[in-house]
Amino acid sequence: MPKLVLKFENSVLKEMPVGSKEVSIGRSPENGLVIDNPAVSHYHARVFNEEGRLMLEDFGSMNGTFVNGQRVKMVTLKPGDSVGIGKHTIVVSESREMDGFATGNGGARPPAPKINETVMLDTRERREFLQKVAAVGESSQVAPSRLRVPTLIVRKGRTDQREYALNDKLTVVGKSGMATVKLKGWFAPKAAAQITRRDDQAYYIGAADKVPAVNGQPVLHPTKLESGDVILVAGVELEFVFRD
Amino acid sequence: MDRAETLVATEMEVGARSDTGCVRENNEDSYRVAPELNLFVLSDGMGGLDAGEVASRLAVDTILEHCRAAEANPSLPLSGEHVEGVSSASNRLASAIRLANAVVYRAAQQATGDRGMGATVVAVRLADARMSVAHVGDSRVYRLRAGEFEQLTQDHSFVADQVRKGKMTEEEAGSSAMQNVLVRALGIDPTVEVDVSEELVLEGDTVLLCSDGLSRELSDDQIASVLREYDDAQRAASRLVDLAKQAGGGDNVTVIVLRHATKPTGAFARIGKWFKNSA
Repeated sequence: MPKLVLKFENSVLKEMPVGSKEVSIGRSPENGLVIDNPAVSHYHARVFNEEGRLMLEDFGSMNGTFVNGQRVKMVTLKPGDSVGIGKHTIVVSESREMDGFATGNGGARPPAPKINETVMLDTRERREFLQKVAAVGESSQVAPSRLRVPTLIVRKGRTDQREYALNDKLTVVGKSGMATVKLKGWFAPKAAAQITRRDDQAYYIGAADKVPAVNGQPVLHPTKLESGDVILVAGVELEFVFRD
Repeated sequence: MDRAETLVATEMEVGARSDTGCVRENNEDSYRVAPELNLFVLSDGMGGLDAGEVASRLAVDTILEHCRAAEANPSLPLSGEHVEGVSSASNRLASAIRLANAVVYRAAQQATGDRGMGATVVAVRLADARMSVAHVGDSRVYRLRAGEFEQLTQDHSFVADQVRKGKMTEEEAGSSAMQNVLVRALGIDPTVEVDVSEELVLEGDTVLLCSDGLSRELSDDQIASVLREYDDAQRAASRLVDLAKQAGGGDNVTVIVLRHATKPTGAFARIGKWFKNSA
């Protein structure tokens, strides 16, 4: 029979087996498992057996019920799961006397479900692809560039700094408060151009209020920046380089 | 089934429509428009019986709930790793999608038999001039800016990967029998990697969220020309769905159109307003 072990920090406050009768959890004294803390709702959640599975249901509590760190409404509990309610933790444990509460191999996650044809997901191909990406993409491309900082060097024009390291996924060139490359001057546009880092870890420049030029060519579609490219936008000239 | 609505978010005109299409019996797409959160979410469910509908609904509702809870309690813990280089709003959105994955995954584990359950998701959240875009799967976000049409998301599909690796051309991908094979979706694994990016929002921009029921029936050019032709976001949304159905409507079609209306700006506009007020 599974049992619930109520803990606060590292001390065990109470243990409660879950049999055929459900265990209600909350601040109110009527509950089977009372947690007297303002963060806990009067009737917070319940744990019950259903067809041999141990279920947890949150009663729409104010501060929520978390299983292994994720907020839940209704879930199946497994031995070893940690249920967070306020600052208290309830650990699901398997009492020695077995009575059909399936544990599988010692609380490990059940195998992933077989995917029906209609789901249109090929897990094998997905895994193979992810392995390939891990093997090829990561080692040959991402690793070396991590040491090098993509940087914009100001060659001409009025800006608040001489150079800018591109740390964010979105970099705005303009006068706006959200701009990284801050343009000065009365007639500077709020957002002249934008540079985004995509999932291939490359940087792409695109038009905003102005159409920037890269190496003299106007950029109509977002264009990948290469080291040494010179960007001209709103009277400012910027060189894109990777700094070591 | 046909749902339609028009709402006004902060400076954003919103149009949305979802339709079962001409072939399927039920609509497994779900969407939510939450102007009070500046949040727009769309999900395409997969799975037998009603599993797809359940999955997509769980996904969009979990995302809204998490973002809403974070609005009330900004210190609400993030689900998963903090993403560097993006705003807290983007991190919250990614967190909400990871949570949605966990919820759909648990529902799939509990579902009887071995009928699978999964969903794609695409979500956009606006904070001033910054737009967070997050997705898993092959539902897409497009943007029309100054007449230029661009896809902002990269499909997590087998054919899109093949194209990126140069093993397949765009044309081959468009006619491939493998089009419906995803390499990433919600509900398949206990955790999921979420793509999150940020974009600038400018006056006059149009942003489109759609399920593959639209992007498989219509070409980018067809979609772009509808967005250029219709100023009204709701009419654009309805027109896109109608065209997808005319083209076959092989799958459920859902679209959300966001339009940052162009306002007169600058000195002349201000003078104009001043005259109006004083008159």
